[in-house]
Amino acid sequence: MVGAFEFAPAIALLPLAAFVVALVFGNGMPKKGAYAGILATAGSLLLSLWMLATVAGGEVYNEPLYDWAIGDEITFHFGILIDPLSALMLVIVSLVALLVHIFSLGYMNAEGETGLPRYYAELGLFTFSMLAFVLADNLLMAFMFFELVGLCSYLLIGFWFRTRSAPSAAKKAFLVTRFGDYFFLIGVVAIGATFGTLTFAGDASFVNEAQSAIDAGETFHGFGAETWVTILGLLVLGGVIGKSAQFPLHTWLPDAMEGPTTVSALIHAATMVAAGVYLVARMFGFYALSPTALAIIAFVGGFTALFAATMGVVKDDIKQVLAYSTISQYGYMMLGLGVGGYVAGVFHLMNHAFFKALLFLGAGAVIILMHHEQDMWKMGGLKDKAPVTYYTFLAGALALAGIVPFSGFWSKDEILYDAIILGLEEPIFLVAYSMGLLAVFFTGFYTFRMVFLTFHGKPRSEAARDPHPVGMNVKIPLIVLGVLALLAGVVNLAPVGKIAGMDIMFLEYWLDGQYTEGMTGLTYSEYSDTAGLDTTYIAGSQTITLLIAGALALGLALAGAIVAHVLYNVPEPVPHTENLGAAREVLRSNYYQDEVQVWIAQGLAMPTARMADRFDQSVIDGVVNGVSSVSLFGSGGMKRLQTGVVTNYAALIVLGFIALVVGLGVYGGWFV
Amino acid sequence: MAVLEMPELTALAPPMILALTALVLFTYDSINPRSTNRPVIAGVAAVGSLASLAVAVWFILAGVGTPVAEGGNGVFDLFEGQLIVDQMALFFMIIVGVVTALVSIASYDYLRDHAYQAEYYSLVLLAATGMSTMAASNSLVTIFISLELASLPSFALVAILKSNRGSVEAGLKYFLIGALSSAIFVYGISLVYGATGHMQLDAIADNLGAAEEMNGLLGIGVLMLIGGFAYKTASVPFHFWAPEAYEGAPAPIAAFLSSASKAAGFVIAFRVFTTAFPLDVMQTLGIDWSLVFIVLAIVTMTVGNFAAATQNNVKRMLAYSSVGHAGYALIGLAGLTVDGGELVLGAAMMHLLVYGFMNTGAFLFVALAEYWGVGRTFEDYNGLSKQAPIACVALAVFMFSLAGIPPFGGFWSKYFLFTGALEAASANPWLLAVAAALVINSALSLYYYSRLVKAVWIEDPVLERESLSQPTGLYAAIVVAAVMTVLILPGFGPVADAAIGAAGAIIP
Amino acid sequence: MTVGIEYYVLLSAALFCIGLFGVLTRRNALMFLMSVEIMLNAANINLIAFAFYHGNLSGQVFALFTMALAAAEVAVGLGIILVLYRNFRDVDVTVPSAMRW
Repeated sequence: MVGAFEFAPAIALLPLAAFVVALVFGNGMPKKGAYAGILATAGSLLLSLWMLATVAGGEVYNEPLYDWAIGDEITFHFGILIDPLSALMLVIVSLVALLVHIFSLGYMNAEGETGLPRYYAELGLFTFSMLAFVLADNLLMAFMFFELVGLCSYLLIGFWFRTRSAPSAAKKAFLVTRFGDYFFLIGVVAIGATFGTLTFAGDASFVNEAQSAIDAGETFHGFGAETWVTILGLLVLGGVIGKSAQFPLHTWLPDAMEGPTTVSALIHAATMVAAGVYLVARMFGFYALSPTALAIIAFVGGFTALFAATMGVVKDDIKQVLAYSTISQYGYMMLGLGVGGYVAGVFHLMNHAFFKALLFLGAGAVIILMHHEQDMWKMGGLKDKAPVTYYTFLAGALALAGIVPFSGFWSKDEILYDAIILGLEEPIFLVAYSMGLLAVFFTGFYTFRMVFLTFHGKPRSEAARDPHPVGMNVKIPLIVLGVLALLAGVVNLAPVGKIAGMDIMFLEYWLDGQYTEGMTGLTYSEYSDTAGLDTTYIAGSQTITLLIAGALALGLALAGAIVAHVLYNVPEPVPHTENLGAAREVLRSNYYQDEVQVWIAQGLAMPTARMADRFDQSVIDGVVNGVSSVSLFGSGGMKRLQTGVVTNYAALIVLGFIALVVGLGVYGGWFV
Repeated sequence: MAVLEMPELTALAPPMILALTALVLFTYDSINPRSTNRPVIAGVAAVGSLASLAVAVWFILAGVGTPVAEGGNGVFDLFEGQLIVDQMALFFMIIVGVVTALVSIASYDYLRDHAYQAEYYSLVLLAATGMSTMAASNSLVTIFISLELASLPSFALVAILKSNRGSVEAGLKYFLIGALSSAIFVYGISLVYGATGHMQLDAIADNLGAAEEMNGLLGIGVLMLIGGFAYKTASVPFHFWAPEAYEGAPAPIAAFLSSASKAAGFVIAFRVFTTAFPLDVMQTLGIDWSLVFIVLAIVTMTVGNFAAATQNNVKRMLAYSSVGHAGYALIGLAGLTVDGGELVLGAAMMHLLVYGFMNTGAFLFVALAEYWGVGRTFEDYNGLSKQAPIACVALAVFMFSLAGIPPFGGFWSKYFLFTGALEAASANPWLLAVAAALVINSALSLYYYSRLVKAVWIEDPVLERESLSQPTGLYAAIVVAAVMTVLILPGFGPVADAAIGAAGAIIP
Repeated sequence: MTVGIEYYVLLSAALFCIGLFGVLTRRNALMFLMSVEIMLNAANINLIAFAFYHGNLSGQVFALFTMALAAAEVAVGLGIILVLYRNFRDVDVTVPSAMRW
């Protein structure tokens, strides 16, 4: 029998085939290529589940497939690594991609969009890139597909390229993430050059090389091994910050709402943005070697979580609110990873994939209901007219806000718990923790502000009084995701398990390789050993700490929800933003982040570019042109030697010969 | 292997086939001097040169010239060491055979209106006989005789367009410089003979110790020999004939002289300086000839490339570029050191082989243009690709290969020359200057080579042209040369092995 | 009494230089050719003298070859000078100078 892993490449290749089919034959197909995509992603999902089952059966797969450049020192190859982490991620990505494809039938086809073959082709390519990125067994291959993911997001955000805003948003997304990717690329090259290998796992992985370099106390370029690993890790982190929209490179993400809502769901839940955090998880063993890098990750994450949450409070567009919530939630994941909570981070990545896909698809459904109106102040009262949408959306909102027992609570709680127990040992992490904790309140507030404004109260526009009906292809994905948003937390009920002493932390065991044989170097416990972070409990008791942390988080989330309820769950809600005073403008302008970036581009980069241009035009071109005119002038002189008179040639030959005789004679001492 | 049982003389089959063909044509000419039966005459010449080429290739594959100790059929030593058939001799016989065959085929169309057909081909084959014999010469006597056998028909060939003032002027200049150079060369031989008492190259090497008192005489003699080689290879300062001779001569003859004759000049230079004048002994005598070749290599490539850069006449540009390539090949001698240098010498031999294809092809394209009568300058060539795309693709291949652009054969030989020079630079730092000059000149050469490609492919024609004919012989020769220039790349491994093996065999 | 080898060498060197002088100064193609012949004969003197000095015959034999080749060279040269005269109505070697630079 052929092993399951023989089929691993097909997971990525099926959507690629769908891309080709939709691109070439899309126009002649029913639903313009949608079925090709649905079939391909369904196939990918089944294969991914098979991989998951096989991994659960105790096998991991780490094989190079094709060497495409072989050098003396280093070999570049394509290969596949399937371990618990990537198997889990494969399922998440292919599931969300499948649901997005199905939802698109209702959101795109039913609305009579043009250019649908292009849309489905790009979706297929997007899914392919992300799946291949997840499968990658080395950093360079990961980088390639990371870039391809970026390209696809550019294409899809700019799908409505005839509008003014979509192309500009697409360009912004591409350029901002590219800015981060430059650092990533330098990091890839530096890692390859330093360790001579780019593979993630196995004995010859760069993680192992870095570990032994640190143990041996080697130095690179005048830096100690650990400092150098920190530098390399931070370079790669540049790409992560760009893709996962962390401060200060998050500004592209809210603009990316210009794309179709289905695309936003895919980007936010499973592909583009998730790629960054997945990369950190993928090479967590490397980051674990450097406490400094981990601390920076934690602080970037904590700050982003709070920062983005505050901006979400004042937005009027339903998709904008979700966009800032995405930034904020990925901040949590970074915080979790940064404080050594590998399981918590991955757990939240998974939960977030489900509830954020749900929320975006729900928002998409609302937009269909509202005849393509996105302003929440024009909605209201949709609760009774679209119950399926309402209840599934509510499930997603509860998960996002982190209300027990929805999935988001468990993972967010675990992140905050990991942060506080580390913070009690090293108080500096308490700052990151408190930022994360504070963000919980804002999350609860803006989430329920959104829910109340959209679904409660009285309808505030014609469209809201007479919504457009939605079909089954919209409702099915919502229901599937709604159930997942409610129940996904079950896989790792850490607080319950720890307090009650039950072995129900399945995800932790999963990621710890306890279901698999022969996992070395990629497990949670080994990461923890490597990072060597000490933790302390409040009053020395794990239970008390768990309870206090959980109660704090839940309490703040509920507080936020209640404030939203008081302010907005009324028949005729009014904007209360005036009460914020001066802060309102700052928040509405997103802390002037865009202005700062534009100023950096225009005030710093442009003059530098101009100077470089002037230098190039005058000095470099001057030298080049000078060399060429000197050469051509010399050529003119050289030609004149050839006078055309044969007697002159004879004379020159004799002179040249005499010069040789004298030269060699003096050198050789013949005349002495 | 059958070769073993044959008399030793059969080892000389390649030049002998050429000589026989020349005699056949000569007889034909004397019976019927005004015959214009072009297919028969050109056919005999082509078959003869191809047979010589085939025999030389067969010999080198069968192991003739490879020492018995290395599993070959042994080096053939003829007439008390006056002639020798080793790997290097066969390698250069192949180059001569290739160029002669290409030129014979191409001349079929080029000479369509010429009165004395058989005379022309018999002179070409006589000159080729001389060049092929040069490859096997192992004594100053045979070297001089074969060199003159190559030169004298060449003078006549350059001036063969008797009523064309350019051809006659070229022939005169070529002849006068040739006469002067051979006088200097003979005088050099007499001085070397005076210092050592021998003509045979191995015997000269054995008797160098006796020349200690006469080292000045020997030194001047060696420099005069270098003068003779420099004339034959068109190296500075004996290169002055080359631009004129190539420009004025019929284009196939220019191809013949600039490829085969140059290669033959190099083979005797390689043999004389590696066999008769071992560098270590000569250095103790105060005659460090590698320094001379370093200077000559740098000056030759610089003069050739710089003078080529601003030419307007395509043929003259190719003529100067041919001088520049002589400078590249001189690195083979400049890079020899006391303890080795087979890599750099082998690289020079590879370069001459590749050059045999690409330069012959380039000159044959000029022959094609002269056949069409489109004119001589770059502007006249503008837009030719519209009428003759195949030939223009071939031209682009030749030009980029001459410039040393990676996918083509010219890049690899130049690359080996460069690495060989760098390797030898550890023993002789002056070679760094040679390597630098090689790079600078290659960069400059790209300028004027690409100018021609641009003219042919990008520029619009100055005048409207009617459609151009496609002469079979010229086209065939050009296409074969282009295909070989490309195909030599996958086949470069064996070629490089053969060249480096041949070089290693003659380095003591 | 035997004459020392150095005198022969001096004689041949002088002859060589005379020939070279002629090559450089004479504009008549025939005179140019004759000057080259003088240079070749200078080499012949050397060859024969050194053959005597070294006591082997290869130099003398080679001198014979040189003479034969000189004759062949003159034959080709005269042919070229003939067509030169037909085309340029002159045997001045400096007249054909259309090709230069």
